[in-house]
Amino acid sequence: MKRSFVEVGVGIFVILGALALGYLSVKLGKVELWGRQGYVLYADFPTVGGLKAGTSVEIAGVEVGRVESIILSPDFQARVTFRIKSGIKLQEDVIASIKTKGLIGEKFVRLNPGGSDRLIPPNGKIREVEAPVDFEELLSKYIFGKV
Amino acid sequence: MSVVAILIASAAWAGAPTDQLKSGIDRVIKILEDPTMKSETRAKERRAAVRKIANDLFDFGETAKRSLGRHWQARSEREREEFVNLFADLLERSYIGKIDLYGGEKVVYLAETIDGDLATVRTKIVTKQGTEASIDYRMLQRGDRWMVYDVILENVSLVSNYRTQFNKIIQTASYQELVKKMKTKQDEFTLEEDAALKKGVKN
Repeated sequence: MKRSFVEVGVGIFVILGALALGYLSVKLGKVELWGRQGYVLYADFPTVGGLKAGTSVEIAGVEVGRVESIILSPDFQARVTFRIKSGIKLQEDVIASIKTKGLIGEKFVRLNPGGSDRLIPPNGKIREVEAPVDFEELLSKYIFGKV
Repeated sequence: MSVVAILIASAAWAGAPTDQLKSGIDRVIKILEDPTMKSETRAKERRAAVRKIANDLFDFGETAKRSLGRHWQARSEREREEFVNLFADLLERSYIGKIDLYGGEKVVYLAETIDGDLATVRTKIVTKQGTEASIDYRMLQRGDRWMVYDVILENVSLVSNYRTQFNKIIQTASYQELVKKMKTKQDEFTLEEDAALKKGVKN
């Protein structure tokens, strides 16, 4: 009688441990289990520098979505797909810029809201884009430009 | 035969935005290279001529609207008109003055993409020393004309730059403060300009 009580206790403990591990891996891996929320937009950039899928999309420093995928478009541009939170409405003239955190930090996408009265529908295209500025290239141009 | 047809077709199709941009820029360069227009005393005349071409080529209203971003919707018809004029003045004193520094740089037209009523013309400027700078022009169709509404210099967009600045001023102060700031800057500039002109005439 006493032995089976211990066994049940251990069993419950093991199950709890497994659940905690599962929760931890979902949370840390940022896995979306219950379907994806929000809507999808895309934009074509001449280059994305070091942008990676999963990077945050920000407005005024607040995360409003994530980069879902980056593929090569038919005309050899970088087609970036964003998943934007459903409450966020973006105007047709919103500008998507790829920015660097600090001077040499990681890349992220900043949206600069526009003033148009037309909104971009889900699966629509952000037509105003800014590719990342290549600081090294600019610096070398500045150096050699002086000669 | 078919090759010729394709060539003609692609030339006609690819032409519009690049051609209109090129004709505008060529006209500006012609004025700047014109030896009779080079003298100090004709600076004002030269600038007026350049601004006239810029008015044909640029849609300042659209640039101003996009630069003001989400604050544009809240403006009345009169405020919008006033803002567009102030913004055109701002661009003129920031860039048309710089155009006098032109020293034989070459403009190379690289590519053109049309997406509905918007187009991008990619160009680069090559200086005499061989330094290159990329400039992309964002254009939109107005009837049969293609007008520039944004200039992207080395991946930095003019509209995006001003949108960030204007937004900051409006958020920390107010729209009225922004207009006041732009007005004072313009007044200062006109004063300096007149002073410089008077000095030029005396010399």
